[in-house]
Amino acid sequence: MMSQMRSTRTSQVQSHTVSQVQSHTVSQVEDTVHYNHHNYESELEEYMMQEEDWDRDLLLDPAWEKQQRKTFTAWCNSHLRKAGTQIENIEDDFRNGLKLMLLLEVISGERLPKPDQGKMRFHKIANVNKALDYISSKGVKLVSIGAEEIVDGNLKMTLGMIWTIILRFAIHDISVEETSAKEGLLLWCQRKTAPYKNVNVQNFHTSWKDGLALCALIHRHRPDLIDYSKLQKDDALYNLNLALEVAEKELDIPKMLDAEDIVNTPKPDQRAIMTYVSCFYHAFAGAEQAEMAANRICKILAVNQDNEKAMGEYERLASELLQWIQRTIPWLENLSPEKTMQAMQQKLEDFRDYRRLHKPPKTQEKCQLEINFNTLQTKLRISNRPAFMPSEGKMVSDIAGAWQRLEHAEKGYEEWLLNELRRLERLDHLAEKFRQKALIYEVWSHGKDYMLKQKDYESASLTEVRALLRKHEAFESDLAAHQDRVEQIAAIAQELNELDYHNAVEINARCQKICDQWDNFGTLTQKRREALERAEKLQETIDQLFLEFAKRTTPFNNWMEGAMEDLQDMFIVHSIEEIQSLIAAHEQFKSTLPEADSERQAILGIVNEVQKITQTYSISSTESNPYTMISCKEISAKWDKMKQLIPQRNAALQEELVRQQSNERLRRQFASQANIIGPWIQRKMEEIAQSSIEISGTLEDQMNQLKQLEEVTINYKPNVDKLEGDHQLIQEALIFDNKHTNYTMEHIRVGWEMLLTTIARTINEIETQILTRDAKGITQQQMNEFRSSFSHFDRGEAEFARIMNLVDPNNTGLVSFQSFISFMTRETADTDTADQVVASFRILAGDKPYILVEELRRELPSEQAEYCIASMPPYRGPEAIPGALDYASFSTALYGESDL
Amino acid sequence: MGEQLPAKERRGAEASRCVEVALSGGAPWGFTLRGGREHKEPLLITKIEEGSKAAAMGKLQVGDEMVSINDVILTGYRQEAICLVKGSHRTLKIVVRRYRLNSPQKVRTCPFL
Repeated sequence: MMSQMRSTRTSQVQSHTVSQVQSHTVSQVEDTVHYNHHNYESELEEYMMQEEDWDRDLLLDPAWEKQQRKTFTAWCNSHLRKAGTQIENIEDDFRNGLKLMLLLEVISGERLPKPDQGKMRFHKIANVNKALDYISSKGVKLVSIGAEEIVDGNLKMTLGMIWTIILRFAIHDISVEETSAKEGLLLWCQRKTAPYKNVNVQNFHTSWKDGLALCALIHRHRPDLIDYSKLQKDDALYNLNLALEVAEKELDIPKMLDAEDIVNTPKPDQRAIMTYVSCFYHAFAGAEQAEMAANRICKILAVNQDNEKAMGEYERLASELLQWIQRTIPWLENLSPEKTMQAMQQKLEDFRDYRRLHKPPKTQEKCQLEINFNTLQTKLRISNRPAFMPSEGKMVSDIAGAWQRLEHAEKGYEEWLLNELRRLERLDHLAEKFRQKALIYEVWSHGKDYMLKQKDYESASLTEVRALLRKHEAFESDLAAHQDRVEQIAAIAQELNELDYHNAVEINARCQKICDQWDNFGTLTQKRREALERAEKLQETIDQLFLEFAKRTTPFNNWMEGAMEDLQDMFIVHSIEEIQSLIAAHEQFKSTLPEADSERQAILGIVNEVQKITQTYSISSTESNPYTMISCKEISAKWDKMKQLIPQRNAALQEELVRQQSNERLRRQFASQANIIGPWIQRKMEEIAQSSIEISGTLEDQMNQLKQLEEVTINYKPNVDKLEGDHQLIQEALIFDNKHTNYTMEHIRVGWEMLLTTIARTINEIETQILTRDAKGITQQQMNEFRSSFSHFDRGEAEFARIMNLVDPNNTGLVSFQSFISFMTRETADTDTADQVVASFRILAGDKPYILVEELRRELPSEQAEYCIASMPPYRGPEAIPGALDYASFSTALYGESDL
Repeated sequence: MGEQLPAKERRGAEASRCVEVALSGGAPWGFTLRGGREHKEPLLITKIEEGSKAAAMGKLQVGDEMVSINDVILTGYRQEAICLVKGSHRTLKIVVRRYRLNSPQKVRTCPFL
């Protein structure tokens, strides 16, 4: 704006004067109109010199007098008309001094003392004196002009006085280029008419005769009034009249001169001319001065105006700038956070726009403002004006201050923007993180509280409860692992709150939900743990009880079963002592019943306890005891049964006792008999043996002996039969032993049979011997030898049987002699035990654990060898080879023993 | 004339019970048989070797009478028994008869006192 002003600055300066002055550009340095305290004395001296000239004539030149009169009158009237009065006659109208005083007042613009109102002479004189005093108070020495002359109407004096006044008030103040008064006026005329070639002003009389000077003067100032180019030098009259006319009409200068007078007078009155010209001066120069003053004023005013405009501009711009700042600062200080990054980024964009687009011009404005201010101040200082004081609040310091605040706010704003962006970014990030974690958590936690509220342990067995506990432990550690996550979630929510997230409410709600749920989990988990542990405890207790039950039941059950078995035990007793001891045992058993019963109670007690527990805690009872198949019922049933059996047994035992007693009787019976018969048989056997051993007598003798014996024996039979009868009774009574005799029926029978058979055999033997003797020619001696050998080896029935088995393996009943011999060779050898046989074979086998067929054939007689080969089992031990024979088992088998 | 009752029957209706024993591990089993129908004797176990498989089993006792081997009911001949035993390889199932001696019946004590 300032710049605009500068560029289009054309100052149209209007100068205002009383009379209209043409507008023109002021190019000159303004004239200074200053008050010149000129010495009036020299003026008056000159005047007085003129007067002296005049006095010499003793008369005022009549022409001059006429001219002066006209001119001065016109001049006075030109002033008096302002006061609304006129003079007709110059020597008369001033006589009373009133108009004189008035004139002075009008000319000077000052107030004179109040005139005396009176018509007396002295009044008049007083008034005139007042006027004269006034004139002299203005520094004019009035020599030889007295009030009386004026009152008397002295024309010369009056004219002189008027001229004094004119001189003093109209001419004296003229100052042109430091020339004043008359000279100044002359100079002025010269200056102004200088461009007019046909005008040459040298004086105030002749130079004016042709009227061109006047016209020139007029034209110089108001070319629009006179067409100067048309004027002729020799047309003085015309020129003068023209000038007078124009002056009167346009310049408000009354006609103070008479054109004809001037033309006709060779030397016009310079005073009149001067007077008239001074009017021109005052009209123009005044106008000019006025103009110049006006110009100066205009300039000054213009400058002032400029300055004021500048000031105003400054103020305006300052205002605008300040307003802009006032508007902008709140915008920059508006740190109201946005919710989204985009909004923030938009703000940042706006801020950037502000920085790039809106602020720079403002910065420039401010700069311009400062420049303008400085320029203005300089201008003012140069032109001596007071410094510019901007209005309140618009001072440079204020602007600077405001600008500073702006920049400060800007900085703050930018910082805040970036921080906010950072914050929002972080918030977005956090919010997302929160959502993610919350979601993960929510997914994980879904259904968990349902699971935690399960009462599945109520119907679970111990192992199941333990399994549930394991599972719960796993869950607990899972929970612990998630503790971290929940804490993180809460921390994130916290941070979001601290950072003032816009949707903190939603976040907080979700977080709260999660936290509440978490706490709930904690509680539920704890509860479940407790419940599970309690269930476990209970199950364990039950289990323990079951175990105890089982532990005690089994032996008890066994005991009962055993007891029952015992009670039902089929006893076979064969003696009274036995049955008595059984009875005693039974009694003892009965005495143990109370203890057993208490044990039973205890066991039942355990079951009750289990039931109590399951009922109290309403857990499902596993009916079955895993430790035992035995149930309570069974126990009770068995117990009852057992109790039943006891009296049964009692009875049975008693019965048996009776039986035993009868048996005893039978035994005795038998025994007594057997004890007779047995020995008898024995004796007979001995007899036979005796006879066998005795080798005396012939075979036939022996035979007879034996035959006799046979008969005896046969006759004895009835005894044996009777014994049989007793034995039958005994057998029927199922008596199997008899301590009263060593002889069993079997013994007797066997003995009897043996006796018989021995007799028969011996007879047979003898017969055989007889035959053999007869057949093979064995001598009696040989026979006796073998018989003795045979008896030597007689070891009883078992041994006999064994031997028989060896010598007659096929049970043909025939023993070949050879085999018998072989046997003997074997038997007589020092082979008493199985081990010795084994040892013998080992030697034959060459210390091998088996023996080979070839070896047997090699070592033994062929029959023995073949026998062995046929009888020995194959050897299947270590180092077995095909064809190996096991002599060890064979040997032990010989002795009736087999090691397996 | 009373028949000679076989040994088995002589002992007759005395209380006896059968015990089943299952040995494993293979020969030697560590027991000794004696008697047999060959000798007109009952086939008995007369020795159990200390530290043997039979002893470890703990079920066989001296005096037990052989009843069956590997589910084959014995006729009584020792040779038969020997063959059957030797015929076993890794396992041997024996059923023996154990006769209760008529010693005074042991009172069943309360085992839980």
